[in-house]
Amino acid sequence: MRLLVVEDEDLLRARLVKALEDQSFVVDSASNGKTALFHATEYGYDAAIIDLGLPELDGISLIKTIRARGLLFPILILTARDNWTDKVAGLDAGADDYVVKPFQTEEIRARLNALLRRAAGFAKPTLEFAHLSLDTTAKKLRVADKDVELTAFEYKVLEYLMLHPGKVVSKTELTEHLYEQDHDRDSNVLEVFIRRLRQKLDPDETLKPIDTIRGQGYRFNVPAKGR
Amino acid sequence: MFPPRAADARYSMRRRLLLAFGMLLVVFLGVAGYVLDRAFKQSVAAAVAERLQLQVYALVGVAEPERGGFFVPDLEEARFSQIDSGLYGFIYDAAGRELWRSASALNLVADTAGLADMQQLPGQTTYGELAIEQDVLAWAAYRTYWQSLDETFFFVVLETNAPSVAEIVAFRTNLYVWFGALTVLLSIAQYLLLRWGLQPLQQLAREVSAIETGAQNELQRHYPEELEGVTQNLNLLIKSERERQNRFRTTLGDLAHSLKTPLAVLSTALQEAQGAAALSEDQRQDMHEQLQRMDQIVSYQLKRAVKGSQLPMARPVSVLPLIEKLAAALQKVYRDKQMQVELRCAAGVQFFGEESDLLEVAGNLLDNAFKYGHRRVRVTATQQGKALLLTIDDDGPGVAANDRHFVLQRGARADTAKSGQGIGLAVVVEIVSAYGGATDIQTSEWGGAAVSVRFG
Repeated sequence: MRLLVVEDEDLLRARLVKALEDQSFVVDSASNGKTALFHATEYGYDAAIIDLGLPELDGISLIKTIRARGLLFPILILTARDNWTDKVAGLDAGADDYVVKPFQTEEIRARLNALLRRAAGFAKPTLEFAHLSLDTTAKKLRVADKDVELTAFEYKVLEYLMLHPGKVVSKTELTEHLYEQDHDRDSNVLEVFIRRLRQKLDPDETLKPIDTIRGQGYRFNVPAKGR
Repeated sequence: MFPPRAADARYSMRRRLLLAFGMLLVVFLGVAGYVLDRAFKQSVAAAVAERLQLQVYALVGVAEPERGGFFVPDLEEARFSQIDSGLYGFIYDAAGRELWRSASALNLVADTAGLADMQQLPGQTTYGELAIEQDVLAWAAYRTYWQSLDETFFFVVLETNAPSVAEIVAFRTNLYVWFGALTVLLSIAQYLLLRWGLQPLQQLAREVSAIETGAQNELQRHYPEELEGVTQNLNLLIKSERERQNRFRTTLGDLAHSLKTPLAVLSTALQEAQGAAALSEDQRQDMHEQLQRMDQIVSYQLKRAVKGSQLPMARPVSVLPLIEKLAAALQKVYRDKQMQVELRCAAGVQFFGEESDLLEVAGNLLDNAFKYGHRRVRVTATQQGKALLLTIDDDGPGVAANDRHFVLQRGARADTAKSGQGIGLAVVVEIVSAYGGATDIQTSEWGGAAVSVRFG
C-alpha cells in the first residue's frame, strides 16, 4: 500500500514515515502543501495522511484541491488544533477521518487500515473470501480456520489484491504500490511471490483464487463475504 | 461583564426633560402671573388715586366758606348729589370738625373725621382705604391753606372700590384663561420637541437591539453630530472586539500547534524506543502516561481559554446547519457503525454566542454518542427565549447514576483524568458554565446516555 505523508515538522514526519514503513507501507512524504499536491496528482496513492497546519498551501485547501481533481483515495487528517471547527472543516473539505496530535502510531495504523478497507468496501477489519480470511489488524491469514504464515511482502501483495477483488491489477500497479521508488523492480520476483501465495492460499489447487491475465496482470477472483 | 441592568424609569431622559421643562413652565408662568397681577393692581390703584385727587381739586375749586361752614354749589360730578352713590365728599376744619358733607354721604356712618391728619402739611394729599360694613372705600385727604381766612381745611373724597375690584377680578380671570391656554400649548410643544429631539437616541436604541438580535452587524444610520462620536466609537468597539476574539483564537490555535507537535514527536520517539534496552517497560509506560497528561492539560486549558460567553453583540448562529454538518462529519468518521441519526431541530433555532463554542459542545457530545452508541443517536435542539437547549440521546451503555455527579463536576477531571479518558465532557461543562448554563446526564429512552445542556 502506497501512502503519502504530509507533515511540516521534519522530526515528526521522519518518525511517522519510519513507523509506517515498519508496518510494511510504502511511504512518500512531503513537507509542504505544494509538493504534496504535486505528489498526489502525479502518483497513485492508496491513502494520504495530511497535517492541517502546513506552510504554502494549508491542509484544508490541499484536501479540497485533491478532491476537486477527482482523486478519491482516503485521507486521514492530523491536527494539533484539537477543536471541532477544524475537524469539521477538514472532514467537510473531503477528509475521511482525523487523528489529534500527539498520537500513538498504532492508532494511525488502525485508522489507516480501516480507511483502506472501507475504501475497498469492506465493513469489517477482517477480509473474508470463501474459506480465506485476512485479518488486517493482526495482519494474519487464515485458510479454512487454520493460521497460515505469510512474509511481510506476501501479506502486502495479498492485501492489495484482496482490497481490489475482481479487478485486474497490473504488475506495474503492484510494484508501484508495494515497492519503494528506488527499489529494484524485477517482475520475476513478483511472479515468484504470486506463485508462493497461490500455494499457501490453495494448496490443493481447488479454489484458484488468483488469475493470471496474460500481458495485463493478476486478478483476485473469489467473491467476498460480508462486503 | 456586568449583568444587564433593568432600565430605571427615574433615569429616563425624556422623563427628566419633561419634568425640568414642566417645573420651569410652572415657575415662569407663576412669577409672570404674580408680576402682571401686581402691576395691574398698582395701575388700578394709581388710577383711583388720580381720580380722587381730581375730585378733591374739583371740590376745592367750587367750595366757598360762609358763616363758619362751607357752601358747595352743584358739582359737575352728579354722584356727589345722589345719596349712597359711592362717591362722597367731606370738608373738615383744622380741629377736625365737619363743616360740610356731600348729599351722597347723608347716610354714611363712618369715622371719616379720623382721616383728617393734623400732622399733614398744607398742600399735601394722603391716600388710604377705609372699610365700612361690606364696602371698602378709597379715600384722598387734602389739606389746604385758605389765605382769606388764615386757616387750614381738610377736603376728603371717598369712593367705593367695587368697580376697581371688579376690574381686577376681570383681569385676573382673563389672565388665568390665557395662562392656562399657554400652559397647554407649551406642554404640547415641549412634548413634540422632546420627541423630535430624542429621536436619534431612540433610533440608536433600536439599532443596538438589532445588533443584539443579529439583524445587523453595526450601526448603519447617520446620526446628529453630537452622537456621531459615540456611534462611530461603538462601531469601532464592536469591530475591534470581534477582531480581538478572532485574533485570540488564532493565537491560541497556533500555540496549540506549537505545543502539540513536540509532544507528538516525543510520543512517537517513545514508541520507537519500545523494546530498546535503554528503557524498561515501566519507564516507557510512565513516560507515555505523563506525555498523555501533558497533552490533556494543554488541550483542556487551551479550550478553557478560548471559550467565549454570551456577548451582547454576539451574532446568532443557526443551529440546524451546524448540527447537520457535524453529524455528516461524524458519520464519515464512524462509517462502520452505520448510525441512524435523528435531528429534532426547527430551522429557526438560534444560538446566541460563539459558533465555535456551540460546535465544541455539540461536537464532543455527539462524538461520545457515536463512540458509545450502537445504532441510534438523536439530537434535540429547542430554544427558550435566548437560551438554547440541546439534548443528545444514544443507545449505548449510558453513564451510571453514581458517576454522573463526578463527570459533571466543573474542572474536576482535567488534571485527575486517568490516561485514556477523554476531556470532552469536561470541556462541555466548562463552556456551558461560561454561558451561565447547566449540563445534565439522564438515561435515554433506549437505555443509553441522554446528555442535555442549556446555554444561558
